[in-house]
Amino acid sequence: MKIRGMLSTLLLVLFVAFLPARASAATVGDIASQLICQCGCTLVLNNCTHEECHSRENMTNLVAQQLSQGQSDEQIIQLFVTQYGEQVLSSPPKRGFNLTAWILPFAAILVGGGVIYFLIRRWVRTGQYSTVAVDTESDAADDEYERKLEEELKSFSEGSFR
Amino acid sequence: MADIGYISLLLALGAAIYSVFVYILGIRKKHPALLQSARNGLIAVGGLVSVSVMVMLIAILTHNFQIEYVASYTSRDMSLSYLLSALWAGNDGSLLFWAWLLSIFAVIVVLQKRDVGKELVPCAATVIMIIQIFFLILLVSISNPFQELSYLPAEGRGLNPLLENPGMLFHPPTLLAGYVGFTIPFAFAMAALLTRRLGDDWIVAIRRWTLLAWLVLGVGNLIGAWWAYVELGWGGYWAWDPVESASLMPWLVATAFLHSIMMQRRRGILKIWNMVLIIITFNLTLFGTFLTRSGVLASVHTFSDYTLGPFFLTFIGLSLFIPLGLLYYRSNELQGEAEMESLVSRESTFLFNNLLLVGAAFAVFVGTIFPLVSEAVRGVKVTVGPPFFNQVNGPIFLAIILLSGICTLIGWRRASIRNLVRHFLWPLVAAVVLVVVLLIAGVTKLYALIALSISAFVFFTILYEWFRGTRARHRVRAENYFKAFWGLVMNNRPRYGGYIVHIAIIIIAVGVTGSSLYGTEKEVTIVPGESMTINDYTLTFQNIDSYETESKTTVTATLTVENNGRLLGKLTPEKYFHRSYDQAVTEVAIRSTLVEDLYVILIGWEDDGTTSFKVMVTPLVSWIWIGGIVFTAGGLIAFWPERRKTPSRSKLG
Repeated sequence: MKIRGMLSTLLLVLFVAFLPARASAATVGDIASQLICQCGCTLVLNNCTHEECHSRENMTNLVAQQLSQGQSDEQIIQLFVTQYGEQVLSSPPKRGFNLTAWILPFAAILVGGGVIYFLIRRWVRTGQYSTVAVDTESDAADDEYERKLEEELKSFSEGSFR
Repeated sequence: MADIGYISLLLALGAAIYSVFVYILGIRKKHPALLQSARNGLIAVGGLVSVSVMVMLIAILTHNFQIEYVASYTSRDMSLSYLLSALWAGNDGSLLFWAWLLSIFAVIVVLQKRDVGKELVPCAATVIMIIQIFFLILLVSISNPFQELSYLPAEGRGLNPLLENPGMLFHPPTLLAGYVGFTIPFAFAMAALLTRRLGDDWIVAIRRWTLLAWLVLGVGNLIGAWWAYVELGWGGYWAWDPVESASLMPWLVATAFLHSIMMQRRRGILKIWNMVLIIITFNLTLFGTFLTRSGVLASVHTFSDYTLGPFFLTFIGLSLFIPLGLLYYRSNELQGEAEMESLVSRESTFLFNNLLLVGAAFAVFVGTIFPLVSEAVRGVKVTVGPPFFNQVNGPIFLAIILLSGICTLIGWRRASIRNLVRHFLWPLVAAVVLVVVLLIAGVTKLYALIALSISAFVFFTILYEWFRGTRARHRVRAENYFKAFWGLVMNNRPRYGGYIVHIAIIIIAVGVTGSSLYGTEKEVTIVPGESMTINDYTLTFQNIDSYETESKTTVTATLTVENNGRLLGKLTPEKYFHRSYDQAVTEVAIRSTLVEDLYVILIGWEDDGTTSFKVMVTPLVSWIWIGGIVFTAGGLIAFWPERRKTPSRSKLG
């Protein structure tokens, strides 16, 4: 059951990952964070650290100008893509081949999670104990805990693993 | 002079080759005298590489500009500490530094007294020397740091002004030491495979080496982040630059390794997995070095010399496929004694956490190389920048942190629903209370609430665990609580050091959450006497001035800072114009508190005094640095040698 819980955690992870980063971009800064400065600094537009960077200035001015003309953020970003190519975007758009990059990590984790789930199940079955997850711990669990802790500490302090 | 350094490197190469051959011969014939001689060869490598490092340092300190490296990276006006740091400022020097660290580590490995894993040492030393041969060959051929110029320049070019920061003294050497440190566990893993001593000896022998390399690499990364924050002047600390990513990947995989060797020790499982992890870790350290020296990806860290790329790629190929082949060959001897009692146990959480750590590293890897993949497949250049990594890795990191909390509460072997509920209750209640408080305080972003509640939950699980342990000791041994807690930590440093590291990660996570989700920034152009406000701060521009020093012109603006009418002091963002460099360097002014940082950048000015500033208020940044200190403390506690019961116990390993 817990394992399923963990798998659902993984699914939750997936879900959170695909939450939209922002509802809608409205300011120059918001759009600039989706673009890469083309001066060669390889940084996000508003993070370019070059002094008197003409590329940064031109690009930022263009964003501001387009915004003032009432263009939507998608339109502005599309304008930059047409002008500079896809590499102007600070991350690959989530479509087409680029989806590979977005999905692959999570797909790998999910597959790995499945493998682990079945491995553990196999190990539990081959183990000499039963698969019953609920043990018969009584209210004396804390005493049990204390005893176990002392035991563990003892085995540790006697140099089991350095 | 330069000849002495170069000849030492040649001799070191000879000694390393000798050492490898005689080790192999000695291991085959089981001949102690041969092994002894090979060991002497290895120690000679250490001595000889040290000599060439000394020669390089003397050349740097005496301004021997005949040597191209010295002329390229130093100048007469540099202070002593920056002169010393020139050793790793350039490509050739940093490779020399790498080889030097490796040779010193190798000497420590063979001289260490150890109870477990002695039989592995000759073979591990052989592997280390083979790796050393690779670096020495580079150093005596295409990366010769002692290359002389045909003329004697009057002055060197000096250090790039961006590198003039205390970060330069600590970031490169700690990072490199971390990278090089992973060679040792890799070598022992190879030794275990080669000599078929496939038990736990090798992981016992390398746990503390790995821990140290991991700790130093982590600290190196944090220093790098701090450096970027205070020096680069864009207000951030992590740009997901390919080289930053490259140093994060081995750290993540090594984190997984450090946890999964615990599983092997306790339960005899994951033996093959551990081998895979350390092989990957080692290769990722080479991959980072490859990226900086090949120019395949654009990065702020690259050296201009790209000739080394193919060499590193070949070396990575060899050190990836030979070990994996060997592992496959031995895999049937590495089957775990796997059996588990329950699906719900600390073991399961370890396995899933391991998966997520490696998954996070994989995600970083995918993002890092995707531009190359895209260009190869579609012929279209794409950029994979911060939005990708934040969106993909953010949730994975949060899941890792969450699982580490669950792991703390679940006992080894099996856990019952009942004790789960009991143990989860208080941490959960504490986390929920915190979320409510945060909501009332106006924290409404979903991501922030998720991240902070997970952080709080895990933090309280650790406190709860400490409390239970302390209370148990208090009851059983009748010690007072303080003494009981101290005894608890001191008697089991690996475990409690580990918990402290977990707390450090939580502190860093809180810092990252706050700073990445709640920053505000403003750009203003004002004249002296004018003010600007951002959040509760009012900054009044006093004046702008410039003064000359020997090496540069400094332009400095003075602003007074008030918070809700209370005068806090002055901030002086500056710009440096170095005579020997075209690019101006921004010197940001930061006022840092536990709650938030006020970050002021001087952008530009007109002759009439009109001046532009970029001002940012970023919450919780200092938590990241505090987390770094706690991280170091926890790592050192886990690493620190325990008092020996028997006199022959080793100091390391």
